[in-house]
Parts: sequence; structure tokens; C-alpha cells
Amino acid sequence: MAIDGVIILDASGRPIIQSGYTSFPPGYPILHIDALHKELAKVSRSGSVDPVIYVAPGIGDLPGGSACCHVAVGELKLIASVSGDGELWIPSFRFTEILHDYFDTVSTATLKDNFDVVYQLLEETLDSSGHPLTTSPSALRDIVLPPSLLSKLLTSLPTAAQTVPGRPGSSVASSASSSAFTSPIPWRKLGIRHNHNEILFDVTEEMRAIVGRNGSTLVSNVYGKIDSNARLTGIPDLVLSFKNPTVMTECAFHPCVRLQRWMREKTMSFIPPEGKFVLAEYQYSPLQGALVSNVPVPLALKPNITVGEYGGNFTVTFSSRTMKIMDNVRIELYLGEDATGAQCTVSSAGSGVGSVGGIEGSWTFEPRKKILRWEIPNMHSSGSWVLRGSWTSKAKVPRPAHAFQIYFELPTYSFSSLKIDQVRLSGETYKIYKGVRLQSCGSVEWRW
Amino acid sequence: MDGVNLHVFTENAARLGMRIQETFNEHTRDLSITRGGASIFDMPDDKVKNIGKQLDSSSDREKLDAMKRLIALISKGRNVSNYFPQVVKNVASQNLEMRKLVYIYLLRYAEHEPDLALLSINTFQKDLSDPSPLIRAMALRVLSGIKVPMIRSLVVLAIKKCAADLSPYVRKAAALAIPKIFQLDSTQEPALISVIATLLRDRSPLSIGSAVIAFESVCPTRLDLLHQQYRRLCKILIDVDEWGQVDLLNLLLRYTRTMLSKPTISPNNESAEEVDGDLQLLLSSSEPLFQSKNPAVVLAVVRVFYYGAPPSWISKIVNPLLRILHASRENERVVLAYLFVITCAHPLLFSTQYPRLLVRTDDPSQVKRDKIKVLLNLCNIDNHQALLREFIDYADDVDDAVVADATHAIGQCARLVQSCTQQCLSALMTMIKSRHDVIVSNAVLVLKSLVQNQLLTGPPASMPSQSPLTIISQLARRIDDIKHPQARACVLWLVGQYSTTQGVSTVIEGVADWAPDVLRKSAKSFNTESPLVKLQALTLAAKLFLLCPMDQTLGLLSRYVFSLGKYDLDYDVRDRTRMLTSLLAGMSLTINGRETEEQGGVILRREQVMKVMFDGKAGIVDEEAIIHDRLSIGSLNLVIGKDMHGDSILPEWLEAGIDPALRQNEEDVAPSAPPPQAISSTVQQAQVSAGGTPVILTPSSSSTPSRDAKGSWRDLDKFYASDSDNKESESSSEEQESEDEGEDSGADESEDNEDDAEEDVKEESGESRTRI
Repeated sequence: MAIDGVIILDASGRPIIQSGYTSFPPGYPILHIDALHKELAKVSRSGSVDPVIYVAPGIGDLPGGSACCHVAVGELKLIASVSGDGELWIPSFRFTEILHDYFDTVSTATLKDNFDVVYQLLEETLDSSGHPLTTSPSALRDIVLPPSLLSKLLTSLPTAAQTVPGRPGSSVASSASSSAFTSPIPWRKLGIRHNHNEILFDVTEEMRAIVGRNGSTLVSNVYGKIDSNARLTGIPDLVLSFKNPTVMTECAFHPCVRLQRWMREKTMSFIPPEGKFVLAEYQYSPLQGALVSNVPVPLALKPNITVGEYGGNFTVTFSSRTMKIMDNVRIELYLGEDATGAQCTVSSAGSGVGSVGGIEGSWTFEPRKKILRWEIPNMHSSGSWVLRGSWTSKAKVPRPAHAFQIYFELPTYSFSSLKIDQVRLSGETYKIYKGVRLQSCGSVEWRW
Repeated sequence: MDGVNLHVFTENAARLGMRIQETFNEHTRDLSITRGGASIFDMPDDKVKNIGKQLDSSSDREKLDAMKRLIALISKGRNVSNYFPQVVKNVASQNLEMRKLVYIYLLRYAEHEPDLALLSINTFQKDLSDPSPLIRAMALRVLSGIKVPMIRSLVVLAIKKCAADLSPYVRKAAALAIPKIFQLDSTQEPALISVIATLLRDRSPLSIGSAVIAFESVCPTRLDLLHQQYRRLCKILIDVDEWGQVDLLNLLLRYTRTMLSKPTISPNNESAEEVDGDLQLLLSSSEPLFQSKNPAVVLAVVRVFYYGAPPSWISKIVNPLLRILHASRENERVVLAYLFVITCAHPLLFSTQYPRLLVRTDDPSQVKRDKIKVLLNLCNIDNHQALLREFIDYADDVDDAVVADATHAIGQCARLVQSCTQQCLSALMTMIKSRHDVIVSNAVLVLKSLVQNQLLTGPPASMPSQSPLTIISQLARRIDDIKHPQARACVLWLVGQYSTTQGVSTVIEGVADWAPDVLRKSAKSFNTESPLVKLQALTLAAKLFLLCPMDQTLGLLSRYVFSLGKYDLDYDVRDRTRMLTSLLAGMSLTINGRETEEQGGVILRREQVMKVMFDGKAGIVDEEAIIHDRLSIGSLNLVIGKDMHGDSILPEWLEAGIDPALRQNEEDVAPSAPPPQAISSTVQQAQVSAGGTPVILTPSSSSTPSRDAKGSWRDLDKFYASDSDNKESESSSEEQESEDEGEDSGADESEDNEDDAEEDVKEESGESRTRI
């Protein structure tokens, strides 16, 4: 599992950053970029490009060709070329996480601003033989200083440049490098100090469901994730226990969590890394013990669509089936490659005038992606809305997708009602502030 | 004193700076000062000229600026190797950032300027004794990255030095440098192998992963180096960094398949499995890693269980695999490829989990197709109803390839579960009425094979409306709507093949009523059809004529088609025409025009021709995919679907394992005080690692080793040690050779690619021997 190199393309598809590729013919990276562009051109709908593209061998290449794995980072595209033996290095995506960690927004501008940092990061995360080196953000921050206003200021002030360098004759080890690689715990460095100690947990649950033509739920699963943000002094040893740990199955943990302890006691015992990290991921298992245990979908859609010649008509009724307020509801329908436009009206549904709450929302047709999008900023409980309209198409027989994609958010709600019982601290004596936030979101496919 | 105070002060200042930056970063983004990088990146060309001057300047800031400009130029694909001399001078810069940029530059251009690169070597050598492990590791990385042949022996020395470094990070860097120097100079192999052996004995879990990488690239066949370490490696597996875990798991799996006995099931009692203790150790110590957040680790554990575990353990891979399936789109794509292979071999494992594999409309098309393939593997009597409904839904997809796959899946469903054949047929018949060409053509193709299948096995008595002949007649009537050449050809063939009627009175005797019109239509459009359809039109004409040679209209139609075919542009069409007319020569003298008189050879009677035309291809051509049991999960060619050069193939199990006594190690016998590990260097940490280390199921065979046994293998150990010390080069290259041969005979025949690679290595080592 070796990765030949990494290329980052900007929004217009030009390479802006590219790793060494020293042991490959000069045309090799270009072949990969070309392969990606070809695939992108072939597929009109973005997002449906095969994430792994086969690249035929060029002149002077290794026989057998190679693979171009790519992933989108905001407007950018990151290509990892893989060839030769062994496994596919899926997580070139780890590098995207690191980029996000270093720069709040990853865009062409920020990368161009900080391209020297990106190059240093590339150098540290990927050995020239293609094996991942240091990928833990906390260790990386020791080696490669994140871009900061101060460092920019220092370099831009002519006088500052003279004062900063270390004493003559000493090693290059500055404050950053002296502590690097000395911590006994790979994910936490020594000597962290905060006046205010706190750890925050964000429990985010995502529902992924498919509802069939007849309105019955074919599958619905809830995947949860516990994000943490720790600002703690020293080496704190935490134990996180839950009131109802049984709702979590198929857990996956950050390397800091002691797996044996979890298997034994269902408590998460760990020394947290500093800053943001994903502590655990799980799947919600409803307690019924049934074979196929679907979590109820908190919404309903009544689509009525007729596909005619050169277009079609539709009436879609959307209603909420939960007592909570749903935020940012987005309902999307792909109208087919030849769709040219759409015309709709949004109205409240049926007789219950009083029951309808919230803002009615708006619709848009995205001509590039051929997607009709209906957005409802917030949806009150048991409200319902109707979208009526028609669309036009160049094709005599239009081919719209046979499913709506519905996205929604439920703030301060959790499908599993997972409850954190307590957070115990040992190893340090100070008091910590603990915070928990719940939120849920979902994406439902509703077929018609 | 002052110096120390200043140092503390600068440290605090830096920390303060970080804090300030975090709060102000948001607000000041638009200030021009933070846009410095972009202006460097997109600098005008006239600025380029200054770079040389800047590099020579005395100001650190100027130099750093120049280096950034250089890197920006590299990034744009310019060749900036002409600055090499000036850059090399800055290799000993006090500024860490500056140094890193210089390193990046050096690694890219050192090959082109070997002489100048030598100038920098001294600095790196000095850095190898720097107090900071970061600097030491970095120096070694650059040193091994500079591909200048002259410094090879220097680098080997540096590697040896760093392999004994106190910091595990430096040892890690040493391990990673080994493959690079080996690529450059394979004569160093013996020395490198001994370093690898040391590194594999390393106490710290941090550097193990890199040691494994070095092992795999330098001496992958020297599994004997692992005997002593195997159990310890299993135990520390959980503490190794995540990428190291992946490499280590793969290596341990290879070790077990080569050195341990295969787990066996006793024939009379299913539950009693005989598992080697050491294999059990690997399985139980890798099992917790199913909970890793890194999908690569989970896949590696899946590999261990899939290829190493006894059958009763395999079910453990189900949930972890399904979990990482949902982690991201890219994961889904890769994991599905592996799922396909696993479900081919073990369909029952996942058959109740099918809902988690259902296709979503917003999946990329390759993922959709893979999911359909996997779902089809899972199809059985219990879930076929639900799956069939799904496949019918997928046939409405907007992607043509997915439609094709879904339609074929419907056909496969009918074949797998006979009882739902009628359902499949009616679904396909509905699809034929669709307004979309793609759906119709695919449905026709699948119908053809289903109908044939039914006719062979005898149609079921139920539902006469869906009898095969009715279906064919319906297809025949819809020939105008079927546009896809392959589908058209298919219908023409079906009509010709099954238009025979017995006992039923029809307009033309012996020919079904719906058939002649198809011939008329295809004769009319003959010139515009694709060759595939033309061939079938000719066959149809021949068959119908054969069924009723007396009929005037049919005769005329066939003659017309044949004369069109005779002068067609396509070779195959002309050939087919010639063949058919000769076959039919006995039937009607007029069909072939005037040349009949001089036609020699055998002229067949009608019955004989019937035999040739109708019975020739009654069997079903099953276009089933080959089961990919040769492909191993975790390999690249599985994901891409193309044969990639040099994919590793897992060795077959050995008949019997080697003596477990070889794997005994001093520490197993007499547990001493916890060795100084990186992870437990402080008191608190000792507890931590104790909590983190797995409960080890010590195999019974090794728990009570006898004293004298220990003595004897100690001797063996000494023997190995002295062997490698005294006549290093000879013994190990010979061992390598013999090991290779052993591998070859034991391993699979088709390991050609790998063997080639190994051959190269052998040849080179052979050369080195003669030189010695």
C-alpha cells in the first residue's frame, strides 16, 4: 500500500500543489490529472464520478497502469495516484482532514496563501516511498507550525526577522521543534497549560434511510458520531460513561480510547488529544431486538408525478412527522440530463390552516446539475407544504430520477436519546467544564 | 542564565502568538498582510530574477522569501534546478522553516546535481547527532532521499546509527530509509537485513510499522526473522500506530499462512475446530482493532480473519465491513469491491444484511453497479422477493449501465430462485413497454435467455399468458420499438428459432403467424441495420424459407434479403449469405440464381438443413462472470477491475506448521519488569498502557516451556547470531536464495509477476557475490 504522490487541483482543475513524484517519469502526474478530467467531462452530474479511476500506463511507465483516487475538498480536488502492489491507500482523505485542521476554509486562496505550509505538511505526512508518516494532527502541529497572523507579521516586519532567530551556535531547535517527537503519547504533547479547562462533546446523529414507492421504509439507520473539543492542562485521564450505552453498536474509536475497557465496562476511558477530534462513531440500535430494526423516518412525502412528452408535472406534499422543529429541509429531484427548466408554486397543504407553521420555503432549479431543489428553512411540527409545478425537457421522453433526496436537520435532538452520565477526571487535580450538545440530521431517499 | 531566560521568553511569546492568532485569524483574513503567500504564488516573472540575489542575502527573511518563491515555481512545474548552488549554501540555516523548504528543494533536484549535493552531506551528518529527535529524523530522511550513489555507504552507516537511536521516531525514520537505500544499492542487503532484524526486536510500538515496511521491501521472504518476534508483535499490535497496524497485520497474516498449520474442522463435530495457538493469538489480539476508526485498519483485520481464521470466526467480519461501508463515498467504492469477493464465497454471511446495501439514487454509478452485483450474490429463497422489487426499481435508473445491470440481475434472480420466474417474466414484459430504448433493449436480452431456459426445462403449466411462445410473439410485434442492435438481433433470432408451429393452422403452413411480418420489416430496413442485425435477418430468412419452401411470398422475401446480403459491405454478412445460400441449395434451385448448375459438393436434404439450422445452438449461452477466487481482498486490481502488475498474492497454507518452539522468546518464559517503552515512560503512562494492552490468550503450548528446551533454542539463537555476524554476506544471500526456492515450490504457479521481481533481486545479489 504505497501511494505514488499527491496532487491538489484548484477549482478550475489546474494543479497547484504536487508532491515529488521523483521516481516516476515526468508525464506520470499529468496522466493522472488528464484521467480525472476525462472522467469529469464524461459525467455531467458531479459527484457521480468513480472515485477510483484506472489510468492506463503511459510511455516509460510501469506496466499495468495505476489508479487515480480522488476526493473533493471544498472546491479543490485532491488526487492520490496509486500503483504497484498491495492495497489501495484509501485514506488519502486523511490528508484532507489535516488540511481542514490547519486552515479553517480550504480553498484555492488559502492554499496559495500558505502553499509553503502545505508542502511541509505533504513532506511530513507522506514519506517519499509512499508510506504515511505522521498523520496525527497534534504531532503535526509540533513539526509544522500552523499559519498564524503572528508568524506572518514577524516575517513581514524587517526588524522582527533579526530578533527571532535563535542564539548563534545553538541547534536549529526552536520552541516548536524541541518539544516535537518527545511526547510519550503520540497524540498528545507534553506541557499543555490552560487557565480554563474544558471538554465539549458534540453528539451528532445522522439518519440514512430509503423509503419505497409505497411509503414503507426499506431501510433506515442512524449513525452517530461524538466530536470532542478538549482544552485541558497536562495529561488528563478521562472516563466517559453513559446512562444507556446499549444504544450504541458497531463502535469505532479514536486511537486514544482503551478498547479493552470499553468491551469490559462500556465506558470510554482515554487521554484526549488537544483540540478537536472525533472520539467515537457508532450505530444506533433500537432495543427491540428485531432482525431488521428500522428507525422511524420523521417526515413524509406524497409525490404525484406524471412524465409526459418534453417534460412533466408534479405535485409533492411534504409533511413533518415529528414534534421537533426541522431546520434546513432540502428536497431535491434530479430531472434528467435533458431538463431545461422548471416552474413551481409552493402552498400550504389541505384544510388545517392553523396547523401549518414556519416559512413556506422556496424552490430553485439548478441548470448545471439539472436538479430541482425545494428548500424549507424551518418546518414546524406536523406542518405540511405542497409544491406544484412542471418542468420542461429537450428529450421527448424525459428520464428523471425516480427518487427524491430529502435532507433535514433536527437541532437539540438525538434519535437514540443517548445520555452521557458523567465525565470523571483522574491524573490531574483541576476542575473541568464539561459540555454536551446533541444534534441530528438526516438524508432520506424517497422513491416514487 | 540569560540565554535560558531568553529561551523561555521566546517560547512564551510563541505560545501567546498562537493564542492571539486563533482569535484574530477570523477578523484579519482580508488584510493584505495575510495574503503574502498568494502574491508569492502568483508573482510576476520579473521577480524571478531576484531570487538568486535574495538567496545570497544575509537576511533570513529575504532568504525565506526566496525559498518560498522557488517552491512556488516548482509548484507551477518550472525547472528551477539552476538555483541549486545557492540553495545548498542555506542547508545549515538556523531557521527551521527555511531548512524544511531547503530539504524539499534538495529532495527534488539532488539527483540532477550530485556533485553539488555532496556539499550538503556534511551538514546532514552533523545533524544526525543533534539533540532534537526531529532534526535527527529529518536529516536521515533527506540523506536517504538524495539519490547520489557516492554516499551510499555513508547512508548505511547513518541508518545503523539511527536504528539504535533513543527516540523511536528516529528509529522509525531509519526503518523508512532502508528501502530507499536498498533500491539504490542492493549489495547492501546483508547489512540492511541485520538492521531490520534489530528494528523488528524494537520495544517501542511506534517504529514497528516502518520496520515492517522495510522488511517487506528488502527481505520479504525472510519470515524466519519473525519466529522470535511473532508473539510479541501480536501483543503490541494494539499499541502500534494505525498505518503500522495495517502493514503489521498483513505481514503477520502472511507469516501465519506460511508457518502455522491450517485451522481444521473435525469432520464429525462442526463446532470443534483445531486452531493453532499462535494463530488464535493473532486473531484475538487483532479483533479489538475492528473498532478502529481507520478503515484501512479494519480492512486489514478483515483480511486476517477472512484468510486466516477458522470458518466459525468469519462471521465477525460482517458488521465491521458494513460499518466502514458508510464512512465515506470513497470507502464505499472500495469496500464494495471486497464485499463482492467475500459474498461470492460466503453468500449467507450477509444475506440478512441486504438492506444496508440497497442502492441510493445519488450513489455514483460504479457504486450502484457494484451494489447490484453484491445484492445478486446475496439473493436466496428468503430475500428474493425484496431484492427482485429492488432490481425492478433500479431498472428505472438514469444511468444506462445501471439499467443494464439491474435488468440482468432480474434475469439472474429467476435463475437462482426458480419459483419467481413468472414474476421476473412479467416484470420484464412490462419493461418492454417502456418508452426508453435502453430499458427495452436490456429487457429483450434478458428475456431471450429466460425464454430459452424455459423452453429447455419445459414451461410451467401456470399462467399460459406468459408462456415462452406468447412472449416471443409479443416481442415480434414490438420489433419496431426495439432499437438497440443487440436486442434487435436477439428478437430476430428468437423469431426464427421458435416460429415453428405444429398442428395449429396458420396462414402459411408451418410458420407462426407473427413471424413473416418480422422478416418483411427487417428486409425493408436491411440496409440501415448494423451488421449484427443483418446477420440475424439472414438467418431468419433462411429459417422461415426452410420451414415453408413452397410459399411464394416467403421465397421472394428471402431471396431479396439474400441478394442484399450478398453485396453487403461487411465481410461477415457476405460470408453468412454465401454459407446460407449454399446450405439451402438443395431446397430450391432458383434461390441462388444462375450459378446452381456448376455448384459442386454435397447438397443437403431439407431435414438435414433443418437439423443444422435449428438444433445447432439450442443451448443457453450463459454469460456468467467468472468467480474471482484468484483475486485477494485488499488488492488494487479488485477495485479497479483490471490486472495490476505486481499485486501480492497470499501464500497457501502449509500442510503442517513449523515447530512452535521456534517462536518462544525469553520474555514469554520469564516476564521481567516492564521494559522501557515510549508509551509508558512516565508513571501515569504505565497505567495507561496497562489499560490499553489486550488480554492475551497465551497458547497452552508455550505457557509451560521446559527448561532444557529453552536452553537448546538459546543455542539456536546464538547459532543464528554468530552465523550472521561471521559470514554475513554469504550466509544470508544463500539463505535468501534457498528461501526463494522454497517459496516458489510452495507458492502458486501464477505468481509470475512476483517471481520476475524476485529473480531480479536474486540476479543482483548473485553479481554481488561474485564481486566479493
